Amino acid sequence: MKFGIFYELSVPRPFGGGIEKTVYDNALEQIRVADEVGFDTVWAVEHHFLEEYSHCSAPELFLTAAAMCTSRIRVGHGAVVCVPEMNHPIRVAERAAVLDILSGGRLEFGTARSSTWTELAGFEADPDTTKKTWDEFVRTIPGMWMEERFSHDGVCFSMPERAVLPKPVQAPHPPMWVTVTSPGTELDAAERGLGSLGVATASFEEQERRLTEYRRRIRGCDPVGGAVNDQVATLNFLYCDQDIDEAARLGVPMLGAFNVANAHLLFTREAYPTRAYGLLANLAPGRRGRRAKEDNPGARAGIPEGMAIGDPHHLVGVMKEWESLGVDQVNFLLNAMEMIPQDKVLASLRLFAAEVMPQFRREAA
Amino acid sequence: MLSGSTPLETLVPDAPEIRAFDIEPVALPDVELLQWSFEVAAGEVTELYPPALHPTLPPMAMIVAWSAPDSPWGAFDLAQVRLSCRSGARPRGFLVGAVIDNAAAGGALAEHWGLRARVGRVAVERYYDAARVEVALDGDTILAVRGDDPDPLQPNDIQLFAAMHAARTPAGLRLVQFDPTWELTRAERYAPVLEAFDAEGWGQPRLAPNYPVVAFGGRANGTLPRLRFATRPDVNAFEGAETLG
Repeated sequence: MKFGIFYELSVPRPFGGGIEKTVYDNALEQIRVADEVGFDTVWAVEHHFLEEYSHCSAPELFLTAAAMCTSRIRVGHGAVVCVPEMNHPIRVAERAAVLDILSGGRLEFGTARSSTWTELAGFEADPDTTKKTWDEFVRTIPGMWMEERFSHDGVCFSMPERAVLPKPVQAPHPPMWVTVTSPGTELDAAERGLGSLGVATASFEEQERRLTEYRRRIRGCDPVGGAVNDQVATLNFLYCDQDIDEAARLGVPMLGAFNVANAHLLFTREAYPTRAYGLLANLAPGRRGRRAKEDNPGARAGIPEGMAIGDPHHLVGVMKEWESLGVDQVNFLLNAMEMIPQDKVLASLRLFAAEVMPQFRREAA
Repeated sequence: MLSGSTPLETLVPDAPEIRAFDIEPVALPDVELLQWSFEVAAGEVTELYPPALHPTLPPMAMIVAWSAPDSPWGAFDLAQVRLSCRSGARPRGFLVGAVIDNAAAGGALAEHWGLRARVGRVAVERYYDAARVEVALDGDTILAVRGDDPDPLQPNDIQLFAAMHAARTPAGLRLVQFDPTWELTRAERYAPVLEAFDAEGWGQPRLAPNYPVVAFGGRANGTLPRLRFATRPDVNAFEGAETLG
């Protein structure tokens, strides 16, 4: 199983006094450590206008900085918003190719369509059409990368024949993903041969059901690109400490703060009735309810089941459970609103890498 | 996260009194239900809410109209202005003001659900190609809003927020959660047009709708339930939520 780190770049109020620079600096330091200790991927979202929750509006720049200060870890768009009012598809293809070149072929290319009214209305995008435009983006961008010259006559954009340059380093192109927030989007991913990049969690049973269906559908997919990316990633929180109670003391409030900030977003469905946006499955603990509380040290410490908060022994068990579902990659949020001091975040990363990750690497080897 | 900054007593000096929470649910059949949403300027937005509530970003003014042909108090038309917010993590609408054309219904809504409404003229009209609501107090129009070009929706495409009403309860001044159930039998979405809005007339001069979001509506069978939850107005709902009755 692979392990990644995931950035929303949440910023606590007040926004003055250099707090945004601190958040970015801390994130880059965490990425350097993650690269050193063996994490596989760093992901960054694209969000706009989401005060406190995410100040990550130019992920291509952030990920370029990440690539420039690391040598091994892969850099992932988690994800580029495929809405033409926000990003023209040609520019998306160009920027991603440049990032793939600069990173030495380490790009993971995630796609999304935005789920908040705040963002869509800020760009005057029509919520009814984002699924269609996302589909047009993911069906055309691989061609821009793979074909010497590319032309398109479409709905959300058209272009005469041009060479979209540069071309990415990876052949046929960087692995492509779709962020999955609403239930059912994982099926859109599977049908197009795209990886399922979970950015919201559901119960273990629900994840298992979705994963099974994803695997079944992707076997018969009609890939939009030059390669099928048959991977499922899920999102989690990480705080690892030798003392499980100390891990809970710092990690659980982080989880709570993030979930409250998430719940405070103005989701499209809440503001604007449309069939294009279903119900959301926001970040929530992955519960199976199988083990009694007295048998579960995490539960005794107040840690929701499925969350990677605890001591190394507890986290090995949690990761085994995710692995048993067939998840290929778990991506971790390391902090929220800078609630956890930077030195403790770095120590948590190092401890997880030293005592949890080897359990999974050894089995893979 | 942002929280409201004005005491509820200042925002709603005329909060109605609810003496008991024992009313049986009241059915409202065949209600014509309409709602318009407009973003409002967010500059001093926290001043529009009590500390218990958190503004959505962007904040929205939600104009909610009911035309109820049948109720225990007779037919009535009601128009409300609410501000979008969160109570805890839940989406809610904070009642800014309301106008009703039936004094008996207005009295009952205030007494049992804390829905304070002044008596005035409310016209809720739906045509094949548009919907319109006009509200007047003492002969002055304080709201005229129109929805054009109806587009059919599935009833479950529509999400309605519960409302938070200021009320004086036996436990003190509270925000009570008003959460009618609606079974929609028809739903449509409209292009929203704000023709007239007198913020002072609604009791909140700083409320300035400035960007149209959406209008929607439909036919619904509603139930006004017994109130079950309240929250203290001075602290957030994680600390101040209470069960009623």
